[in-house]
Amino acid sequence: MTGTIVRKEILANLVSYKFFIVLLLMALLVATSLFIMHRDFSGRMADYQLIRPEPGEPIALVPPNPLSIFAKGLENAMTRSFEIGVTGIEVRAGQSSGNVVYAFFPAPDFLYVVRVVLSLVALLFGFDQISREREQGTLKLLLSGPVSRAQVLLGKWLGNFLSLAVPFLLVTLLGTAVLLFDPDVRFTAGQIGRLGLILALALLYLAFFLSLGMLVSALTRRAATSVIVLLFVWALLVFVLPNLGTLVARQFVSVPSVRALSEKREQTWTREVLLGISREGDLAGHWRTIGLENDRMEEDYRLRFERLVRLSRTINRLSPAAGFLDAATGIAGTGIDEESRLKTEVVRYKNAIIDPIIADRIAGRRDGRYQAFVYRYRPVSEVFAAGALFDTAWLAVFNVLVFALAYAGFVRYDVR
Amino acid sequence: MGKTLIAKEMRAHLLSFRFLASFIILFVLVVLTAIVLTGDYVRKLDEYSGRQAEIDRYLRSYAHFNRIQNVLQPAQPPIPFLALIRGLTADVNMEAFDDDPLPVMFPLIDLTFVVAILMSLIALILTYDAVSGEKEEGTLKLMLANGVPRSKIILAKAAGAGLALVGPLLVSLAAGMLVIILHPRVGWTGLDWGALGLIVAGAVLYGGVFCLVGIFVSSVHHSSGSSIMTSLFVWTLLVLVVPNLSPYVASFLSPAPSRIKIARETARLTDVDRDDLGGKLQAEYQGQVLKDYPVLAERLSEAEVKRRVAEDPDYRKAYEANRAASERAWAEANRIQGDKAGLLRADLARKEEAQTDLARAISMVSPLADFAYLATDLSSTGTRNQAHFGRLARLWGQAFYRDYRTKKIEELRAKDPTADAWNTAVDMSDAPRFRYAEEGLGGRVQAALPPFAVLLGYGVILFAAAYVSFIRYDVR
Repeated sequence: MTGTIVRKEILANLVSYKFFIVLLLMALLVATSLFIMHRDFSGRMADYQLIRPEPGEPIALVPPNPLSIFAKGLENAMTRSFEIGVTGIEVRAGQSSGNVVYAFFPAPDFLYVVRVVLSLVALLFGFDQISREREQGTLKLLLSGPVSRAQVLLGKWLGNFLSLAVPFLLVTLLGTAVLLFDPDVRFTAGQIGRLGLILALALLYLAFFLSLGMLVSALTRRAATSVIVLLFVWALLVFVLPNLGTLVARQFVSVPSVRALSEKREQTWTREVLLGISREGDLAGHWRTIGLENDRMEEDYRLRFERLVRLSRTINRLSPAAGFLDAATGIAGTGIDEESRLKTEVVRYKNAIIDPIIADRIAGRRDGRYQAFVYRYRPVSEVFAAGALFDTAWLAVFNVLVFALAYAGFVRYDVR
Repeated sequence: MGKTLIAKEMRAHLLSFRFLASFIILFVLVVLTAIVLTGDYVRKLDEYSGRQAEIDRYLRSYAHFNRIQNVLQPAQPPIPFLALIRGLTADVNMEAFDDDPLPVMFPLIDLTFVVAILMSLIALILTYDAVSGEKEEGTLKLMLANGVPRSKIILAKAAGAGLALVGPLLVSLAAGMLVIILHPRVGWTGLDWGALGLIVAGAVLYGGVFCLVGIFVSSVHHSSGSSIMTSLFVWTLLVLVVPNLSPYVASFLSPAPSRIKIARETARLTDVDRDDLGGKLQAEYQGQVLKDYPVLAERLSEAEVKRRVAEDPDYRKAYEANRAASERAWAEANRIQGDKAGLLRADLARKEEAQTDLARAISMVSPLADFAYLATDLSSTGTRNQAHFGRLARLWGQAFYRDYRTKKIEELRAKDPTADAWNTAVDMSDAPRFRYAEEGLGGRVQAALPPFAVLLGYGVILFAAAYVSFIRYDVR
């Protein structure tokens, strides 16, 4: 019986105006986003080929991550080049542009499309499932047949989920297949696996919004009311909570601004260099002081910043959108934890080669060769252990909870 | 009659669930944003004064003219408007090792954001069924059965929805402003009030545009179910898609070379290539000198050369001519290669500017971008302010490097002619400090005019479209 309802829902969707609009939006957006972010990736790849360190150069540089086409995250920060000199790490900004319009709006990557636009689409699949059928009088007819309410609800959920998920997967896989024609975009087997996980997470995320739509639909008498409630809930979950959360967290954890830190670094640097020159003494000692002071500052900052990230993550978990973003960028290797880990590795690399660099400079050698920097992304298991598993489980719990509530609402629903 | 219609629309909105929900959400969010951002602003003030004190301390003890530019950089102090609008001031700095990645992942919320996303959504929610809903309920027929022209009805619908939208906005904003101005440390000035007034006018216009989108769409569809779908489709494109795509599309249509590539090329031009050219020119010029002074052909050791320069005036003349030729060759090489590099940089700057202009133009198709531009420019947190800040910084740079530094170095050399003026600690606590002052309202308004005009144009076109479509609407 559930199968019949599923089929009915899919057929009803196929001929509806809503489905047409949604399909158009989905195809348009996913394709455009992949195309644009792929161009962006190619640009970064070309730059990487230019600044790629020669063997022996003391430079830490990670090649662009092809998964950033789907989840850009902090990719721009991660692909900067970190050059190690006598006084420590010097950052050469990565790919940047004089086009300030980039700074105004977030990047339209696949994750953005799913998180913001497709979540709205999923809501639109769910919002009128029950209230509309009541308004049209077909709910009465449906329930007069030998079918339980649980079956009706499950059938509706499955039917709509399939109508949403199948075109979504088709469009995404097609887009990904086109990407594979570019020789620069070489996904390893591991990355394909990661992409699969991101897609699965995206489906879980969309399922949540579908269930949410059905829940509100089962609690309201009219489709018009349910759409209003849902739009507000959506705006709160997707836009307001995650963005307000980080601001609120900042009220409790004080983190020095980037500007304050870089001013402090410059002061230390110029002071020590001045002292080194005017006392004609041990320059190497002054270089080491610069390195030590910077390391201390950096460590202090890192501790505070990690506290800030933890707190804002906890607040943000109220919103599935933030959890989804954290988990998906984590899996793609462009998340906050990955960036912070990369910086730790860069610091470790600096500590390993700083002494030979200083010794070479003191001896006046400019052609010293140093070990190469190698960075391995965190394995997926570690990403999951560090929080993505919690986010996924949390999303699943949200899903089940909302569906259960929808069931409870529907069981008590007055179908007249 | 018009008044009765507007009053009817207003009453219908005021009593509706959607109005109540919109009002509550807008109110809570605006007040919450004001509270959080005011706290943020006060913390920024403290940090700013702390940083300035550090710099003062440094200037008294360790300041020296070599590398002073790294320590004494013009910095923008927090302005009171940050308690409402953050604009481009978010603390993301890619050049620092300790960059702050959180705002990249989660753009921070402010008044612009609340207006841009929520106001537009509320406007659509209030109007998506303006015509189609009344048709479904059958009241449209009744209304038209009286002697009311359709133009009046559509005007009343727009006015009613607009008023129902403005009310909650003003009340929420008043509450938010109360939070801000009651805080003892926020010095909100008359100029700020003026800018805020204009931003509110922009917000009203922005909300009005989406009211008209809703009314237009509802007068095209015959069921409110389809009209909400189309409205949301249009909203998604205009608010969530067009602005975000615009810089990428512009980079496609009007490409600019990557900065990394240009940096590499200019570095090569002024380094390796310059050395090649300099060596070639030097050989050429010195060859000519050799013709005039055959005495230079002799191979001598360095000590020998020194001795002969001191003893033999002819040789000395030849030696100086030779040195002048070498200097001329290198100056020439530096100039030629510097010009080439300058051309590349100018080309990059020109292309980037063209791309920015195009991206801005494309994004202005979206009312959201229009509102974001006008709000950030009016509040001194946008691109206009960046340019203004750059101008002030250049003025300060002249005062410091051209006037103050020259004077100080002369003083230093007067005391001790052999002193290394660059690497000696100098008390610079009397140096001219960078002072930031916001640009006057006139310039800011000028910058905000184009987005205002686009919003107004949208309003007029949408109203005309809604009117035409309503005239042809089948009310049965």
